[in-house]
Amino acid sequence: MVDIEIEIDGKVVHGYSGETVISIADREGIDIPRFCYHKKLSVAANCRMCLVDIEGNPNPQPACSTQSSFGMKVHTKNEKAKTAQKAVMEFLLINHPLDCPICDQGGECELQDVAMEFGSDISRFTEGKRIVDDKEIGALIQTDMTRCIHCTRCVRFGAEVAGIVEMGATGRSEDLKIEPFLSEGIQSELSGNMIDVCPVGALTSKPFRYGVRSWQMNSIQTIARHDLVGSNIFTQTHESKVKRVVARDNENINETWISDRDRFSYQGLNSDNRILIPKIKIKGEWQDTSWDDALDFAANGIKKHAKEGSQIGTLASKNATLEELYLLQKFTRGLGSDNLDYRLDAANPSNAKVLESNISLTELETIDHALIVNSYLRLEQPMINHRIRKATLNGASVSTINAKAFDFNYRISHSVLTSPQNTVATLSGVLKALLDKNSQTLPDYLNSVSVHQTHIDIANALLNAEHPVVVLGEHVNGNKCSDQVATLVSEIAKASEAKTLNASLTGNAHSAERVNFKPENGKNALQILSSDFTAFVLFDVYPTFDCIDSENAIEHLSHDDAFVVAMNSFDDESVLNCANVILPIASFYETSGTHINVDNIAQSYSASVKSAGESKPGWKVIKVLADLLNLQGFDFTDSSQIADKALSLTPNTSEIEVPISNSKMPNITTVWQYTPYASDVVVRHASSLQQTRIGQISEASVCKATAKLLELSEGDLYKGVPVNINESVAEGCVFVHTHLPRQC
Amino acid sequence: MNNVCLKSIDKDNPSSLATYETMGGYKVWHKILHGELSPEKILEELKISGLRGRGGAGFPTGLKWSFMPRNQEGQKYVVCNSDEGEPGTCHDRDILRFNPHSVIEGMAIAGYVMNATVGYNYIRGEFMEPYYRFEEALKEAYDAGLLGTNIKGSKVCFDLYSHLGAGAYICGEETALLESLEGKKGLPRFKPPYPANVGLYGKPTTINNTESFASVPEILSRGGQWFADLGVVNSGGTKCFSVTGNVKNPANFEIPMGTPFSDLLELAGGLREGRTLKGVIPGGSSTPVIPAAEAMKMTMDYDSIEKAGSMLGAGSVIVMDDTTCMVKALTRLAHFYYDESCGQCTPCREGTGWMYRVLKRIMDGQGKSEDLKLLLSVQDKIIGNTICALGDAAAMPVESFITHFREEFEYYIKHGKSMVENDG
Repeated sequence: MVDIEIEIDGKVVHGYSGETVISIADREGIDIPRFCYHKKLSVAANCRMCLVDIEGNPNPQPACSTQSSFGMKVHTKNEKAKTAQKAVMEFLLINHPLDCPICDQGGECELQDVAMEFGSDISRFTEGKRIVDDKEIGALIQTDMTRCIHCTRCVRFGAEVAGIVEMGATGRSEDLKIEPFLSEGIQSELSGNMIDVCPVGALTSKPFRYGVRSWQMNSIQTIARHDLVGSNIFTQTHESKVKRVVARDNENINETWISDRDRFSYQGLNSDNRILIPKIKIKGEWQDTSWDDALDFAANGIKKHAKEGSQIGTLASKNATLEELYLLQKFTRGLGSDNLDYRLDAANPSNAKVLESNISLTELETIDHALIVNSYLRLEQPMINHRIRKATLNGASVSTINAKAFDFNYRISHSVLTSPQNTVATLSGVLKALLDKNSQTLPDYLNSVSVHQTHIDIANALLNAEHPVVVLGEHVNGNKCSDQVATLVSEIAKASEAKTLNASLTGNAHSAERVNFKPENGKNALQILSSDFTAFVLFDVYPTFDCIDSENAIEHLSHDDAFVVAMNSFDDESVLNCANVILPIASFYETSGTHINVDNIAQSYSASVKSAGESKPGWKVIKVLADLLNLQGFDFTDSSQIADKALSLTPNTSEIEVPISNSKMPNITTVWQYTPYASDVVVRHASSLQQTRIGQISEASVCKATAKLLELSEGDLYKGVPVNINESVAEGCVFVHTHLPRQC
Repeated sequence: MNNVCLKSIDKDNPSSLATYETMGGYKVWHKILHGELSPEKILEELKISGLRGRGGAGFPTGLKWSFMPRNQEGQKYVVCNSDEGEPGTCHDRDILRFNPHSVIEGMAIAGYVMNATVGYNYIRGEFMEPYYRFEEALKEAYDAGLLGTNIKGSKVCFDLYSHLGAGAYICGEETALLESLEGKKGLPRFKPPYPANVGLYGKPTTINNTESFASVPEILSRGGQWFADLGVVNSGGTKCFSVTGNVKNPANFEIPMGTPFSDLLELAGGLREGRTLKGVIPGGSSTPVIPAAEAMKMTMDYDSIEKAGSMLGAGSVIVMDDTTCMVKALTRLAHFYYDESCGQCTPCREGTGWMYRVLKRIMDGQGKSEDLKLLLSVQDKIIGNTICALGDAAAMPVESFITHFREEFEYYIKHGKSMVENDG
């Protein structure tokens, strides 16, 4: 990069050769009006609002597309520039409806802002204004296309960022329309960003529509908790309700984008299904009660039912905050129990070392090959997938080892379809191919492994890459050999000098790992839920959705002798059935807390709104309960004190040898994946997301051969989910993708 | 007359390879294949010839070819712009119909000079007959071994394809043409980068007009000086003019540059009996109109027409006599640009519709006294502010029509009807 010097409005400024004038001006704080320009999108130069005077040019030039050159003299505010800018402003306004009083964008509209400076008081346009039909494009985005100024930011967002060309410009002249090409509407998991990039009120948030004016809301900086990225957001609140969520820039985490899950999940907070008052169960009947009574009831129940601490099992949601997880493990361990776990969806919650992530989000953009194992990354972790997509735009290739051929928004060069029971064999094949290429001696367990051409292809792709990465996704959690899979992924990465990214630790699982929210010697989630423990503490756990063996879990929790304390934010029938006391806790955005993301960045946030009804932040509830049970070391007055304590812990990283053996697995297995809008309790209650096509997904995919063995035909129900027979699924398994609760 | 691009027009079976060869066709190409003509020599001859781009902008062709990074590695392209859509123009159509081999040879020579092994001829969507004629000629050239890989053992390679447009005026703009050729919507690209650096599929590309390519073989065969001497200073050679409008014999005429307009009018049979000349649009609908008195003084070359206040453009001469209502004529032109704007950039998308609607309102008898000021202001806000030249093209006629024929517009606004009694 050559440092060059140019002059803007008489000020000498620096840039690099080829940098656009607008980019330099933005860095220098020199204001140039614009609509089509967006720093994260390609240059279109179509709105012409950023026309500036460049000495030596007869015509004004757009600052967004003009590359600076040494000694260039730019005037952004002289008469020539202003005349051009005002001319464009007039053209933009003649067909704009100017319905600002009824437009949701009013008050935060780029057109409105720029018109204040460059517009005229009186319109010279006396002809009829253009009217454009609105398109129904789904539950999330409201269109008012008459307001559209054709900047094509949404079109470019789809083509360049979301990777699905959904919006396009059809027609020409005044009939140029921005609209979706297909009648299905918008389907991208990142679609809400189009609302953010739209400079006018053409695309606005449908769930937010007509809720409140933008200037009446408070914007609070916080963190989205649904995935392992921890996207930076603003919650925008009014009268103690979250009314809207918008993206907040953080180049290292989410750039300027957020997933639809992070954007629209707030609707869940305002659902009717929240638990607002403490409840206790007396003789099988639920009664509302006071906090004091409920807490006493809970403390006494634990004392009475768990004479020995080891009779207590504690389970927590992986979306709980770092502080909650820390206090809850301290609470459980304080009572003398090591029976605690957050891995409710794990078929094999082993003590093996967790696969580490050693690549940062920004570094992901620089990889040249990614091997994705056991993951539908695009829907599971949209922002991580986005970084990999960016790498593919720069030439990176991607291969996958999955149970199904998923719909990624980039090309997959090598794909191996593998059922869970064959995953160990497939990964062993790839590892063997890698070691063969490296002429390394094979460990004994690889001797009998057969290597297929696709294994060699993937091995070659990894070895030929300079910066490869292996990504392990959340399907591994349902695999009975998950520890072997993780070990093999780690070995593959070692043999190919690849980085690893463990995307199976979803939500705030990194916090749970940090505070060792899992047993060292005690019982894990599966064992706890099959035990005859006499006391259970559930923290935001909804067994029908969250537990891998939900029927068994509910059976054990509902045992007559068991006393179950449930701290929940939402009402749930299975919790009502098995709990003895329900303590309502604050949900997302209602409590302060900390999220640790895949880069090990701990991001703390304060509450955006007060907690619903009488519910209280979880950490306060655990603390009071601990006090009532005379546990020591809970004298915290602020959640940040807890976070400091929790962050000083180091995860237990004892190496445990994982023997690789093709252990006995059933002939036919199930891979269960929730839609991204069923991944936690808050988003499950977000009504608009549920209406989207992604939210409505519910199909059990199975190949013909396996369907025959299972005697399934198209449209039958498999575990409550309609069967779809197609050949994109590995033999020997059923891939269930649904928003419905698990059936065993 | 008709001795470069249209020289086969009166021959039997004019478009055939045999006819072309009897007129000395492919002589230059054979010389190249025999290694007797270097790219440097060709560029030199072209520069001497004074050939300027016949598409409308008039950029010197030799200079344009020399801009191509011919030694840069990778694919390069030659593209012929046969998307002849300027209202009033129809001579490229006749070149394609009657002398397609001159275009093929011209493009092949260009490919050789610029080290481009692939060429495309982008033909206007409505030109079905020219397209088939050109395809036939292309087949003949391939069958005769004049195109392809390692042509006649010379190691020279050139493949040529024709492509039919889909009916958009804007695709005549060279970068919109490239987009269209790539299979996208025809939207002009912002420049720089120019096609010589980033063109078709992102590769260096030279785009020339049909007539420019068709002139090349004759220039090289008879020498640059011969061509230059046909014309006048700064406007070398001959030029095809399409004369339309109120003349007795509308047709295409290939005449030396510098021929007086009055002679051209004469060639086209002159005006009809009892009519007097009112104005002339000399270079196609996007060039300013010139009133009769100025027109009769000008000669048909770049400098003289510019002095008269307009541009030679694509050589599309629209003649208007005293029965023409200038308000109606301008309204029709405004509608054309309003309809053909690609809609991409703001001033053109919004401004062309605005100007058309104001003119339409005047035509409907609803004109207001301030409308002329408004029209002049709107066109002024479009000029120079758009991505491509269509904005300027739409604006310039408005300015010139109102300036030169103001009293007709004022009359229409005041009386709600045309000053011309018998418009026709």
